[in-house]
Amino acid sequence: MRRIAAVARNTFREAARNKILYSLLFFALGLIISALALGQLSVHEDRRMIRDVGLFGVDLFSVLIAIFVGVNLLYKELALKTVYTILPKPIARWEFVFGKWLGVMATLVAQIAIMGLVLALTLMAQGGADAVDAALGKALWLLLMNVTIVTSVAMFFSSFSSPFLSGLFALGVFVVGRSIPDVRALAQRMGGAGGQLLNGACTLLPNLHLFTPSGSALGAQTVSVHGAFVGASYLGWTTAYAIGYSAVVLACAMLIFRRRDFV
Amino acid sequence: MTDGESGGAVSGASEPEVVLRADDLAKTFHLGFFRKRVDAVRGVSFSVHRGEIFGFLGPNGAGKTTTLKMLMGLIFPSRGRAQILGRPVPDRQAKRRIGYLPETPYFYEYLTPEEFLDFAGALCDLPAAERRKRADALLARVGLEHARGRPLRKFSKGMLQRIGIAQALMGDPEVIVLDEPMTGLDPLGRKDIRDLILELGRAGKTVMFSTHILPDVEMTCDRVAIVAGGRLRSVGTLASLLSPRVLSTEVVLRPSATPPPLPAGGRRLPSDGALAVELPAGADVDGYLRAALDTGAAVVSVTPRRESLEDVFVREAAAPEGPAS
Repeated sequence: MRRIAAVARNTFREAARNKILYSLLFFALGLIISALALGQLSVHEDRRMIRDVGLFGVDLFSVLIAIFVGVNLLYKELALKTVYTILPKPIARWEFVFGKWLGVMATLVAQIAIMGLVLALTLMAQGGADAVDAALGKALWLLLMNVTIVTSVAMFFSSFSSPFLSGLFALGVFVVGRSIPDVRALAQRMGGAGGQLLNGACTLLPNLHLFTPSGSALGAQTVSVHGAFVGASYLGWTTAYAIGYSAVVLACAMLIFRRRDFV
Repeated sequence: MTDGESGGAVSGASEPEVVLRADDLAKTFHLGFFRKRVDAVRGVSFSVHRGEIFGFLGPNGAGKTTTLKMLMGLIFPSRGRAQILGRPVPDRQAKRRIGYLPETPYFYEYLTPEEFLDFAGALCDLPAAERRKRADALLARVGLEHARGRPLRKFSKGMLQRIGIAQALMGDPEVIVLDEPMTGLDPLGRKDIRDLILELGRAGKTVMFSTHILPDVEMTCDRVAIVAGGRLRSVGTLASLLSPRVLSTEVVLRPSATPPPLPAGGRRLPSDGALAVELPAGADVDGYLRAALDTGAAVVSVTPRRESLEDVFVREAAAPEGPAS
């Protein structure tokens, strides 16, 4: 455990000293705060506007950071040859990959916490303490689960391909994963072998739509981050889904990394 | 091959204990679109004994780094096997007892030496207090106490090499493997590393290092393996590799008006003011000196030239490929 924690701590420290990540965070914070101005322009919908734009900012930038860090993580270790110093030490290759993943997740937790805090403060500046409710916390938790999968997918691709291709693949998985209900509807309309193929792809790819349920019908009720949002059981099983999917993808990344020659 | 390679991790009183063994190690890469076959290492067998300083000598591209990476578990051999302290590579118990410095080491440049050594210590499962204690001691040992708070990106090549050795020693290993530790260093940097290797040898550690710098090997190693073209060409002590036979004798005289006649095969060497001649092997050196003294010349020096490590290295590296060693 100490070895995994050491790799995770070092990965977090690397991210904390990375200027590009700070730039992305500042962009996100700028977007969230700018929602305050947009709120002023809307009539009686200022709180809704700030919440929507703010959560969109957290979603967009957390996914960008997850893909950026995820695809560079293992590649940088190989390109900069730092892995030559680490792997001859008594650490298993899977421990190294898992430690890197934990480090990125710690970075994303910190980033989402900072963005969420700024969003909450922005909402409070507009509408007082009432403006911050449990739905906001649940929405942020779901976005964290979303990037848990995105990071694992990005790391999986980076275990065998370049950062550019890994980034493209991970972005593709994110876009399709977020549109799973639409893709399933398309598959149903298409029918035949093409429809079956598309349905198969939907089963294999992560259903990231689960993590942005606002506006969707869950049973008889349409949930909204501005009103009645998801309950504890929804949070529970989507969290289990995110952890389970990430575990499978990470296990594949570990298997590939385990067999690699570090020339 | 000069040496007899002994077997077994622990041997009797007469045979030294083998701490590192390569058995017919081979690595073939398939490169490029057409999967071109490149045999980087073609069946290398040798062993390193406890407490010795072992030089792994070879020209660039000989297969030294690939062999060391196979020993460290960074590359999987296409054939053969390696053992460290009696355990197959890359066994974790064996890795606990090894320290490794890669060729041209690259470290996390955003870390300070203290942070980096702490990280290396944590990977060796050391508790925090022990890590701090060892990091302090090692920073002092490699002369980097003054730079303990400076990021590694601001380190010179020599300083990086020293912190690289320090990280290899964090786990207090019995066996230390260094890949080209002196390459790219200035003479003072090379001397520092050489002294450190000798100090480790005196402390009872087993050190194996690869290099193509011959004087470093001559000054530090108990035994040497010469590798070229992916094959092991020779292995043994320096004394066993170098022939004691005199190849030629260099005589320097303060000449008289009439210098003594040169024996057959002898030749004059360029010199400033003095008379320098090289007499071939088997020449009557005593006779030549007597003749010189008779003419009134004074003898300044007489130097027999025996086979050097460079002669052996050039001969082995240039030799046509034999069967796999």
